[in-house]
Amino acid sequence: MMRYIRLHRIFIAQYLKKLMEYKTDFLLGAIGLLLTQILQIAFLGIVFSQIPALIGWSFAEVLFIYGFSLIAKFLDHLFTDNLWMVGYRIIRKGEFDKYLTRPINTLYHVIAENFCVDAFGEALTCILLLLYSIPQLNMPFHWYTIPLLLVVIVFATLIYSSLKIITAAISFWTKASGHITHMLYMTNDFSKYPVSIYNKAVQTVITYVIPFAFTAYYPASYFLTGKDPLFCIGGTVIAGTVLFALALFVWNRGLKAYESAGS
Amino acid sequence: MDNMIYVENLRKEFKKIIKEPGIKGSVKALFKPKKEIVKAVDGISFEVPRGEILGFIGPNGAGKSTVIKMLTGILMPTSGTCLINGKNPQADRKNYVREIGVVFGQRTQLWWDLALRETYAVLKEIYQVPDEQYKKRMDFLNEVLELDSFITSPVRTLSLGQRMRADIAASLLHSPKVLFLDEPTIGLDVVVKENIRNAIKKINEEEGTTVILTTHDLADIELLCERIVMIDKGKKVFDGGLTELKHNFGDIRTLEFELAGAPDFQLLDFDRHFKAAENDIRAELDGNMVRVRFDTAKVSVEEIISYTLQTVHVKDLNIKDVEIEEIIKQLYRREVSL
Amino acid sequence: MSRVKRFFRTYKPFTRAGMQELIAYRANFICFLIGEIMSAFIMYFVWKAVFLSTDSETFMGFTMEDMVVYLFITFLTGYLTYSDGAFSVGEEIVDGSIAMRMIKPCSFEMCFLFQELGNRIISVAMIFVPIVAGVEIYRYAVSGMFRLQIGFFLLYIVSLLIAYMISFYFNVCYGFMAFFFKNLWGTTLIKETVVGFLSGAVIPLAFLPSGLAAVLNFLPFASLSYTPVMIYMGMYSYGEIAWRIGLQLFWLLVMYGVSKLVWRSAVKHLAVQGG
Repeated sequence: MMRYIRLHRIFIAQYLKKLMEYKTDFLLGAIGLLLTQILQIAFLGIVFSQIPALIGWSFAEVLFIYGFSLIAKFLDHLFTDNLWMVGYRIIRKGEFDKYLTRPINTLYHVIAENFCVDAFGEALTCILLLLYSIPQLNMPFHWYTIPLLLVVIVFATLIYSSLKIITAAISFWTKASGHITHMLYMTNDFSKYPVSIYNKAVQTVITYVIPFAFTAYYPASYFLTGKDPLFCIGGTVIAGTVLFALALFVWNRGLKAYESAGS
Repeated sequence: MDNMIYVENLRKEFKKIIKEPGIKGSVKALFKPKKEIVKAVDGISFEVPRGEILGFIGPNGAGKSTVIKMLTGILMPTSGTCLINGKNPQADRKNYVREIGVVFGQRTQLWWDLALRETYAVLKEIYQVPDEQYKKRMDFLNEVLELDSFITSPVRTLSLGQRMRADIAASLLHSPKVLFLDEPTIGLDVVVKENIRNAIKKINEEEGTTVILTTHDLADIELLCERIVMIDKGKKVFDGGLTELKHNFGDIRTLEFELAGAPDFQLLDFDRHFKAAENDIRAELDGNMVRVRFDTAKVSVEEIISYTLQTVHVKDLNIKDVEIEEIIKQLYRREVSL
Repeated sequence: MSRVKRFFRTYKPFTRAGMQELIAYRANFICFLIGEIMSAFIMYFVWKAVFLSTDSETFMGFTMEDMVVYLFITFLTGYLTYSDGAFSVGEEIVDGSIAMRMIKPCSFEMCFLFQELGNRIISVAMIFVPIVAGVEIYRYAVSGMFRLQIGFFLLYIVSLLIAYMISFYFNVCYGFMAFFFKNLWGTTLIKETVVGFLSGAVIPLAFLPSGLAAVLNFLPFASLSYTPVMIYMGMYSYGEIAWRIGLQLFWLLVMYGVSKLVWRSAVKHLAVQGG
């Protein structure tokens, strides 16, 4: 474990050196992500200029849930962005060979090799939204609120990353799976809005099948109202744990099926 | 002498989807994909003693890379055994790969955007090489592979020759017991090729590293390997020393001479004169030069020279040993078998 | 006539290749499609909630029915006019394989165009028909009558084709620019976001402050998405449609000219780079 922490420090240090060389790339990526988010929030602003509340949710509450959904999204984006490359390129081109000839865990190695600092575009939106919405909301606050928040953040990020690992690992069998990761990634937008706006079928899917609702709406609604901690927080922890176990299982099975490329 | 590498009856099968040509074929493959099992490696066995450099050759698509990938733990064999230094590559991959170094000539394992030195610093951590040993190792690799002039440059700016040297150094950083080199001289110019060969030789001699080398450049084989294993269509077709290969092939030589006058060639009729089959003797005319390949078991050197000198006017005649390249070319084309 | 025939014979293989490519990567294509249409469904639910939360039948002049048509026809229009041939141009310049295109006896942009057309033919079959049918069935179910007007529908198709050509030449320009910036991911994200906003694909231009909306309506971006969608929805009179399509044709000419200029300077740059 200590070894991996040490390794991670080195990978990050190397990444920062690389970043210095590609400052504009990083800046453009971050600006792009920031712009995408800002325009969607502008849309919400226009909508709320005409209605007092969205089926019972005030503008501040909707912004809080939206901002909350970006926490896990941004952390996952920052740390595990290289998984996209697994499904798009690394396996198909046989570049995965390299990881298999190294004496460290392949999943760790792939993830640690790259960071996506562009995610700060999302982080910035997230912080601005939370700073704007929280003072307008009368949220219950206890001594355990902050520790609980940290726990939620860890497991919510794990939900994101595990789903990404699973979809990336599919490429061990199919050679390419970037499009599946993409499809999954688009469904996470469902978590940005209160779950109650969706119909029953969608609610069931994003709660029990692809549990993105646990990365944002459920925990956020607990912090807003203090109701249902067992389901809202416990669900996040369970979903994160189960998915992570599944992700490790699929990844390890995938390694055995890996066929490399070329002659 | 003990064996570093032991391979027995190794097999690897792939499933392949066959697509018929045209749009119709694409649509058909969409609903009813036809699958076929391809035997990439079909029951190969061989052994490599500690400290040997083994040349592993075969035509494109013969299954060389697949064998190397199974030996390095990248691919799971369909069946069969391979043991390297007594270890099964697939059983405990993380521990096993500490003992081997791998270079794929077509693909770099260096970090594209990092300075070369930084790549080594990361690899040092990955392989947990102690500081003291790392320093010594870098000095040694520097001396053998001359990395000094480009060690601070980002990898993407290196020339192919520099990159290959850097890749070989990266594979040797943790002092592996076995080194797998998959086409380490591909695309390099003659001078760089020679540097790389010398480096491989030196590492093999000084550290007793066992080396498995695949290549299409037979000069690599002649200069480095005592022994070769040749495979074709997933099967082993030859296993032995270079001299043995020549011997096995038959003692074939080439008689080369220049004709003094052009029309003279018509007078020569080797087949009929020696009553030999086409495989045993064959003459080619190239301008005024005549080349005659012949098997000394059928036709003696003496006979052929005296016949030639009696029949035509000749300038500048000589007899050559057959080149290894010639043998292998014929083996690949399946003109002969061993 | 024979000239036209020869023209099509030259480029037919590219169209065929484009179709085969799409079939070969059908799984990618379908997943990509599902992923993209997901956002239209999310917006559908958001709008449903919005209309539940207001007493009025309309929201800034749009009924729920209009909103659904707007969301899905915008998605369809965006998908069909999306052109990524330009992306390949940039890539091919970087890795030098553009040279292979330049030595062939055909126009480089026509190669890309026909390859994309092959792609589009299948997309049309797979998504155009289902989405239009879905939208019209929805409208029929909600209002009890058949809403699609053949005239508007045909003009929509004309407008869509022009929008595609504008998008194609616009992206050819962008492909070269990205090559000079040497950053594809970041600039593409910014481009798509900005174009998405300016073309009215994110927020209907009618919802924006009237001054801003008037400017955006005139810019070439509205021609990419908003104009065809509004025509489909029957928001414009025939007179207005004539002037809108005229504007589209004007921007198409401009984009074509600009792409020619950019191509010429890129070729020069390529000549300098090669040795």
